[in-house]
Amino acid sequence: MGEFEFLRYVTIGQYLPSDSVVHRLDPRFKLLAFALAVVAVTFSSTYLANAILLLVVLLLVVVARVPLGYALQGVRPALPVLAFLALFQVLLPPQPLGLTGDCSPVFQWAFVELTDCTVRLIVVSTARLVELIVLTSLLTFSTTMTELVHGTEGLLAPLQRIGVPAHELSLVVTIALRFVPTLALQMERIVKAQIARGADFGTAGRFRFIRTMRRLLPLLIPLFLVSLRRSEALIVAMEARGYTGGKGRTRRMRLRARPDDYLALAAATVFCIVMLGVDFAALDQALIAWLGCF
Amino acid sequence: METTRQTTTVLVRRIVVTGIMVAITVLLGMLPVGGFIPFPTGVNATTLHIPAVIGGILEGWPVGGLIGFFFGLFSFLRATTPLFKDPLIAIVPRLFIGVTAYFAYAGLKRVNELFAVGVGAAVGTATNTILVLGLAVLRGYMEIGLAVTVAVTHGIPEIIVAVVITVAVVATWKQIARRSGGSSV
Repeated sequence: MGEFEFLRYVTIGQYLPSDSVVHRLDPRFKLLAFALAVVAVTFSSTYLANAILLLVVLLLVVVARVPLGYALQGVRPALPVLAFLALFQVLLPPQPLGLTGDCSPVFQWAFVELTDCTVRLIVVSTARLVELIVLTSLLTFSTTMTELVHGTEGLLAPLQRIGVPAHELSLVVTIALRFVPTLALQMERIVKAQIARGADFGTAGRFRFIRTMRRLLPLLIPLFLVSLRRSEALIVAMEARGYTGGKGRTRRMRLRARPDDYLALAAATVFCIVMLGVDFAALDQALIAWLGCF
Repeated sequence: METTRQTTTVLVRRIVVTGIMVAITVLLGMLPVGGFIPFPTGVNATTLHIPAVIGGILEGWPVGGLIGFFFGLFSFLRATTPLFKDPLIAIVPRLFIGVTAYFAYAGLKRVNELFAVGVGAAVGTATNTILVLGLAVLRGYMEIGLAVTVAVTHGIPEIIVAVVITVAVVATWKQIARRSGGSSV
């Protein structure tokens, strides 16, 4: 029965307490800087840009005093997928719609043809994935869930004037996070109840997916119905306590920005602009040509 | 006075249902059973979009869209494949799951409510499949032939599961079956 202790699997907010500069940043500024970094990573598709990004991301990990192996542990489950995708790209080269111009073959064997576009695609998408995984783990390692929720609400607050319900959104996140463990226990109960009635929930194997699908129904349908009932109770409870939305509410935890926060944000902005503004494609060409001389 | 109370109720209801449906999405994504169906192809079919569909049908398109947004955010944060570590692919398509599901449902509701729920679930699921794979092709992660194959092999089972679960849940919750079941006692 041990495998059905579902709370074990609930792992949100793997916070690593520390007193590093990254940990102490105001969550609002940290989130903005994080978003800028993600933008920089998403739109960088050259060797040089990704090398720089990788270096910067690893530097951040060191600054945040997160053990490097810890930060990279998210990469491990991705390795088989990456290997598979790389193999796939080599065997069946994609024709990206107007993304790349001319590709020249660098390696040929039997029907396998490796063009420089394919190599670039494999190297760049691998680097990009590693950067993003490390960045997102860094954010959750250095920020508690409460900080994240308050940070998001703080960021959205100015948008409240044009009708974005910042307070309500952060309440949604708070409710969701609060209910994940509760619903995990609920799910555990449902599974045990169905087992008591003779159901079998071992994985049926990849080739018997129809059986797996059928087995899901007596789990998911009760889960949804029980959750809806719980939400009904919560609605009544909130209304009974006079909840009327975010207007005029005060809060216990207040965020105050320090000079460090502005500095970090400025650094992230400049970095993002540089990464997007510099013509790395041309630099890449030059670099490849230069390497070709040897 | 009456109107103020009315809007408050809708607001609280929408916040709570969105929150709980997001909780289900997150939970199913973490548990060993429930969120993914292993397929012979090595890629898993998913049930994680169903909360967005149900939320959209029960509480309207803003709720469905918001659940979809958090589903996207969650799948972006926990992704281990390049495809879903791309925020454009992880988040944007998911915004529309609950929205299209709601409009399909709302449009057909007058014909037959149960049928409308089923179509809504199918449309919402198809939205997810088509937009994710379409963007994957556009951003150069996938070849178009492969995308179409995945859409057929995974999209159709996902639609079936989503329709069965959504119809069962919504019918029970709204007690539609009792009305159309013949007996009114």
